[in-house]
Amino acid sequence: MKKIQSELPIFFETAHAELASALEMLAACKGTYSPKQAFGYFMHAKDEYNHARSFFKMLSKRGKKASIKKARDFRFTPPSLITKGYISNKGFLIDTMKFKDFIAFVYTNELLAKSSFENILILVGHGTEEGKTITKIMADELRHHGMAKKFFLNHYPALQPWQLMIYRLRETIHNKGRKLYDANIKILDRLLTPIYKSMAYLAGTMARKLNLNEFKRKGKNLMNISSNSIL
Amino acid sequence: MFIGVTGYNHESSAALVDNNGVLVNFYIEESLSRIKGDKSFPWRSIKKLLESSNIEIKDIERVAFYERPLSAFLHIVKEASFHMPRSLGLLTHQFRNFNRSSVSCYLDFAKFFRGLETKLIYSDHHLSHTLTALAYSNSKKDICSVVVDGFGDRSTASISQIVDPTEINELWECPYPVSLGLFYSTITDYLGFAINEGEYKVMGLASFGDSKSKSAKLISGLMGWDSNSNKIISDMSYFDYHLSTSNSFNSKLEELLGPARNPFVPLIPGDSDFQRCADIARGAQDLTIYLLRKIFTHAYKITRSRRFLFSGGVSMNSASIDSLAQLPFIDEIIIPPSPGDPGCAIGAAFYSYIKSNSYSDLNISKPSLFPSLKEIRNDEFLAEEIISNEFTVLEKDKEDAFLKAAELISVGEVIGTVLSNNETGPRALGNRSLICDGKNKDAVKYLNTVIKNRSPFRPTAPAMRYEIAEKYYKLRPEIYECYKSMSATCKCLKDNVSLEFPTTHVDGTARIQIVENKSSLDKLLSILETMGIEIIANSSLNVSGDPTCFDLVDGLMVCSRTKLRYLLTDLGLLKRKT
Repeated sequence: MKKIQSELPIFFETAHAELASALEMLAACKGTYSPKQAFGYFMHAKDEYNHARSFFKMLSKRGKKASIKKARDFRFTPPSLITKGYISNKGFLIDTMKFKDFIAFVYTNELLAKSSFENILILVGHGTEEGKTITKIMADELRHHGMAKKFFLNHYPALQPWQLMIYRLRETIHNKGRKLYDANIKILDRLLTPIYKSMAYLAGTMARKLNLNEFKRKGKNLMNISSNSIL
Repeated sequence: MFIGVTGYNHESSAALVDNNGVLVNFYIEESLSRIKGDKSFPWRSIKKLLESSNIEIKDIERVAFYERPLSAFLHIVKEASFHMPRSLGLLTHQFRNFNRSSVSCYLDFAKFFRGLETKLIYSDHHLSHTLTALAYSNSKKDICSVVVDGFGDRSTASISQIVDPTEINELWECPYPVSLGLFYSTITDYLGFAINEGEYKVMGLASFGDSKSKSAKLISGLMGWDSNSNKIISDMSYFDYHLSTSNSFNSKLEELLGPARNPFVPLIPGDSDFQRCADIARGAQDLTIYLLRKIFTHAYKITRSRRFLFSGGVSMNSASIDSLAQLPFIDEIIIPPSPGDPGCAIGAAFYSYIKSNSYSDLNISKPSLFPSLKEIRNDEFLAEEIISNEFTVLEKDKEDAFLKAAELISVGEVIGTVLSNNETGPRALGNRSLICDGKNKDAVKYLNTVIKNRSPFRPTAPAMRYEIAEKYYKLRPEIYECYKSMSATCKCLKDNVSLEFPTTHVDGTARIQIVENKSSLDKLLSILETMGIEIIANSSLNVSGDPTCFDLVDGLMVCSRTKLRYLLTDLGLLKRKT
């Protein structure tokens, strides 16, 4: 049971990440001006959707064996793609990044994803059915990486391989930074929770005294109430 | 031009109404972001409204937000404050996320569409619902509006008398936290389905339940109607939705009904826990119908109106509408095609229109069920390479494509459609659908379980013309309009052959769709009827858990990700290559 409980977050987060990638690629497909690129992004999105489905299946397999309370915590709701930061509320990467940076992002992150799947592969075992699925996903990621690299060099032939290395290094540092930030936020959150709760208690005590009755609508013409009021 | 906007609490959306009171366009954010239930600020929808209508911010006279944000915030906080320290988690969450709640809509407008924030006005939540429903009514005056949802900006249900669009008097309300909508969501959560998404699964599951079972009877004690005070009453000791962000119910409900269901365990008819869950769903459905009948009866008592608008999330409970239509005082019930919160953008847009100088006497046009503008040019251009690599064009000519699609349906194939404009509401009415012969058991089963991978207890809707529906189903003229947008179920006629149709639910009901004249399905049926097929099984074109397809690329993606082989589009009939 403990093993399952420790594995649930891994598959939960990975499924989120793969689904977010699928949506990013679908947005890129719709956002491009080249039918050829649209086809490339379309096929990439399809792969990522399939990866997400595989990880959701693995999550579901573990969820069935988990306690009901724990299982409920790992129910997937699509809006969490935004609240968890897998997709920015400012828009998809294709909308917010320069095209060159976007391709570099795909190029580097596909490789980083592959290396993170290696850890999951160890977790599920190489010889298992799940292991075979993950090996296939890793091959897909490597293919995507290769395609992005080719595409990148075709578009920017003046770029040298060492410049791609810099992109990769930059993204690796970004990813590590994101993880560090996330871990620190969680620690900070734990430290600050008592303060937050105390403040909420105080605010709650004040809120209890609020009289909202005068904002009741019974007997009123709703069309005559001020349209500028937020209350 | 006038914009209405919803967001932050439920699926966000935006609608555009012109100076003549015509709904020009309507987008739900999830259609564009492809994130089911996307409730973030609908910047994509607003941007698309402006771009597709070729207008700029200066052309917008007013923009209305669908609720009063501070009111929604304060009512939740005040209720939670009575239950401290149990509710401290919720209170902390509310205060910490204050800047991400709907209170920040002004700032989001300023951030994404500078200049639009100065034109921002606010409507009451239930007023937005009412105005949405009113737009779809043929008559715009002397009608009663019933709104029942989870939570608005102050109440959870209300009754209003519409004298005309400028005079809408609220006569009754059900104050938060007592809520029929949140009760149903709690049962949804308890049964292992996602809140705001799985309610229709509970409705489907209820058909397998027994009203006389112990579980169903236990549910009936959770809420009731006080005839003396004409109020909904609720035993809140079983619920936590007003105290917690993560739990909608507490251990007391589990002591009453047994343990909550593990969401990862499939619910299959015949399995050990299936009947218990079905009985609980039945109990929730019975209680919902009972309370809705009480609310409508009270509405009649206080307004003497025999014509009703019904909106809010609970009005999507199509299984209760037939029972409401049987109330002796009902002449007509109108339910808009998008009766939940996303549809409120339409009401909010009409609110700003009615408040403006452009509004003149009752000048509100009834919107189409398919309002969004077609974007075929971009589709055609982008999908060129995808289609040539992954699909074969079987027929390019539109007439021939429909004919070929009908032939395929007649031999038991399932067809996806991406035709013309999108539907307004959550139900696919033929333009973004998966369709097959509605009497062919194998085809319907294939559509339901293989292509859509849905739970076996959920039925598919049958679509047909009115004359055909009359032969098989007990139709009620009071809710005729509801059948057009699949908003109401109906019973099969007694001892009728329709009881054996694969689209008929286990309890002998079906959520029928009467096809609109000149719609895509109407055109298809006119061909199919010559082949002896009079009923089409119709389900939304999407992969389970995704929003319904928006454009051609989405349709091609569904085809590529599932076992669907044929896609009927504006570019012709396509067949997947592999």
